[in-house]
Amino acid sequence: MTLKDIKPGEKCIITNIHTNNLRKRIIDMGLTKGTIINVKKMAPLGDPMEILIRGYLLTLRQAEAKTIEVARVEG
Amino acid sequence: MIIKVALVGNPNSGKTTLFNGLTGSNQSVGNWPGVTVEKKTGKYYLDHYEAEIIDLPGIYSLSTISLEEEVAFQFVLQKKMDVIINIVDASNLERNLFLTHQLLETGFPMVIALNCMDIVKKKRQNINVQQLETMLGVPIIPITASKHQGLVDLMHQVEIAKNITRLDERRYDSAIEASVDRFTTILGNRFWAYRYFEDGIKGLYGINIKLETIKLLETVRDEESSKYPLDFDMLLPNERYERIIKIVDKAWIRPDLEKQSTTDKIDRILTHKWLGLPLFAIIMFLVFFLAFGPLGAWITEGFVNLIGLLFAWIIEGIEALGMSPWVSSLLTKGIFGGLSSVMGFLPQLTILFLFLSLLEDSGYMSRVAFIMDRILRHFGLSGKSFIPMLLGFGCSVPAMAATRTLDKIEDRRITTMIIPFMSCGAKAPIYAIFAGALFAGYSYLVVFSIYGLGIIVAILSAILFKKTIFKGVASNYLMELPEYRLPTPRNTLLHTWERIKGFVVKAGTVLLAAFIVIWFLSYFGFMNGTFQLLDEAEIGYSLLGSFGKIILPIFTPIGFTDWRSAVAILTGFVAKESVVGTLGILYGVSGDVLQNGSLLFTNIQAAFTQVQAYSFMAFALLGLPCIAALSAMSKELGSKKWFAFAVAYEMIVAYLVALAIFQIGSLSIGEMLSVLVAIAVVLIVFFSIKASRKRKKCVGGACYMCAIKDKCHNKPTDELPKSS
Ligand SMILES: Nc1nc2c(ncn2[C@@H]2O[C@H](COP(=O)(O)OP(=O)(O)OP(=O)(O)O)[C@@H](O)[C@H]2O)c(=O)[nH]1
Ligand SMILES: [Mg+2]
Repeated sequence: MTLKDIKPGEKCIITNIHTNNLRKRIIDMGLTKGTIINVKKMAPLGDPMEILIRGYLLTLRQAEAKTIEVARVEG
Repeated sequence: MIIKVALVGNPNSGKTTLFNGLTGSNQSVGNWPGVTVEKKTGKYYLDHYEAEIIDLPGIYSLSTISLEEEVAFQFVLQKKMDVIINIVDASNLERNLFLTHQLLETGFPMVIALNCMDIVKKKRQNINVQQLETMLGVPIIPITASKHQGLVDLMHQVEIAKNITRLDERRYDSAIEASVDRFTTILGNRFWAYRYFEDGIKGLYGINIKLETIKLLETVRDEESSKYPLDFDMLLPNERYERIIKIVDKAWIRPDLEKQSTTDKIDRILTHKWLGLPLFAIIMFLVFFLAFGPLGAWITEGFVNLIGLLFAWIIEGIEALGMSPWVSSLLTKGIFGGLSSVMGFLPQLTILFLFLSLLEDSGYMSRVAFIMDRILRHFGLSGKSFIPMLLGFGCSVPAMAATRTLDKIEDRRITTMIIPFMSCGAKAPIYAIFAGALFAGYSYLVVFSIYGLGIIVAILSAILFKKTIFKGVASNYLMELPEYRLPTPRNTLLHTWERIKGFVVKAGTVLLAAFIVIWFLSYFGFMNGTFQLLDEAEIGYSLLGSFGKIILPIFTPIGFTDWRSAVAILTGFVAKESVVGTLGILYGVSGDVLQNGSLLFTNIQAAFTQVQAYSFMAFALLGLPCIAALSAMSKELGSKKWFAFAVAYEMIVAYLVALAIFQIGSLSIGEMLSVLVAIAVVLIVFFSIKASRKRKKCVGGACYMCAIKDKCHNKPTDELPKSS
């Protein structure tokens, strides 16, 4: 499952990162293995998506989201 | 003794706010990441020492991707400072401490300024500064930059810290540090070893190393990377964040993290699925409605009256002294004629700038990038490109500089080339005059339509560039949304004032000089064989008049029938404000204002039709950026070829659009309808041909073996097609 499949309001945990484009920046912004992501919402036209990570709001495109492997977590 | 102090920190952490507080400068501050794109220096004095403070663009990490980040990175790397002040946004501790760790790895003397303590307090959080200090091993001073709190403490600490270097400390997991040790033995420097660890050979950019060393490094890197299950480039970031979590868990006490924040509540509406985009349109409309609608017009009227009174008083006073006719002409027709038409719009510009400042300070800018990204992607741009475009409503020069935050050169070039189409504040008086004079009652709608025209042309141009020059280029988008902040009146007013001051200073210097020159050229000329001062009715004989009449034919197709309008539009090259100023001089504004307090309106009404006025506005909007914008454009495009192309493109587009407006607009309703129908027919034919071409696309080979024969609209044949 990738970050792209997580719906707004759900939470997930990063299991791996396969991103090529913007890879280092995405990692440095705090998307590392084991980090919890709170998916907040999609932009009005469905893309990009807004996530809450490490206490701040980050927006990224689906193109990158689908290269981030995650597992859904409850609660 | 002068200590050089560099402000280094994440974007939007308050570096420039601190810089302004320390140095008394007025550099622009805004609530989105990427406001500062250039290095700025200022001075700070404390009893016995002097510090040179250097404000830098924000960086998330030492692995940079855009131009402005590179500025900050290079500055730190080349150790151009004595002490680093690392600004850490205390309300966003986790991510901010990432850069802090990278900076600690450099071993350079450093102090942490823990900023935004007011927000921490307001959120009822608590940061144990002492604990944080021991765990990070570096002095920390809590400050609130926006309220100038803690600045003196901070600068005292800087003085102490400047002699403390912290080389070769080990912070991370022993296995990782062991790998770093191996690189250190080869490179001879622990910091470069860390850089190489995370970025590979790219991380060593700028230092001299031999080819053998590189080979050796790569072998060691391969060996080391086989020891870890994780990707090698993720190891250090992972390790830093794990350490950060431990620190933060100890030192940062945060209650009810899950509670819905104010930002969430606002975003529920502003980036709402259905409401988000319409609300953006409404907000922009409101800004322009307030500036150019009835309110703005009403204030302007009063203001113009005041200017008129003031000048009448001055002129009377001087006249009483007895003046030669040319001095009186210079004062009334030249200086007053030019300046009053420009200054008259000060109130409307103030309103416009005030609202633009509010947008910049609130945190809405990055939301706009977020909601617009999907649309802009079609044009090969990123949502981030929209921020420079919005800044373009203020002034093209900083807007073009802001393109440096885009990480692809194509993005930067396209955005820079379309920024001139976003109507800058200095062009606003032109619309205000023409719309006010000829479209009374719905003038703000006309002004809004001109802004809309600019946006449409910008977008169409971006599409054109994307389809022709920058084929197949994909933009990048990754953006932080900062928390909303209530704009402080101080900040907003300062911001507005800075812009207004720029306008007034320009009026008093460049524009004043230009007006005097224009007055001279238009009120002196050869009449009846002698060179003499001319009267208002005779200015056709002036030097400028002769020149204007020569160039007028170029502008006739777009509706200019008077040499004065041709001349006025050309003076926009100096500064856009001089267009109205020149109109004021050439159409003799002085008598008008003095008598009935209305700016130019009657004279403009007499000289222009609605269609001519609209064509004039469109040409002024799209064509010939002012000299400052041109030099900014040349700087940002970074190539003469591109610059020449951009200027030529802009002029041609402006001319064509104005031509279309005037030619179509001059037709009678019936003709206009038939033209529109003809255009529609042509478009429909064009697109259906295009569509049918697509459908007819034969994949080669005979039809019976074709995989798409069911969907194909060709008559099936068993012969091979003539050409593939
Ligand atoms: N509440 C609060 N807001 C602050 C403080 N310091 C800065 N701000 C706000 O934070 C935002 C960002 O401030 P800037 O000074 O532009 O930040 P910067 O680090 O220079 O940002 P970039 O130039 O984009 O890297 C602005 O809206 C400031 O008003 C503070 O101590 N408290
Ligand atoms: Mg700044």
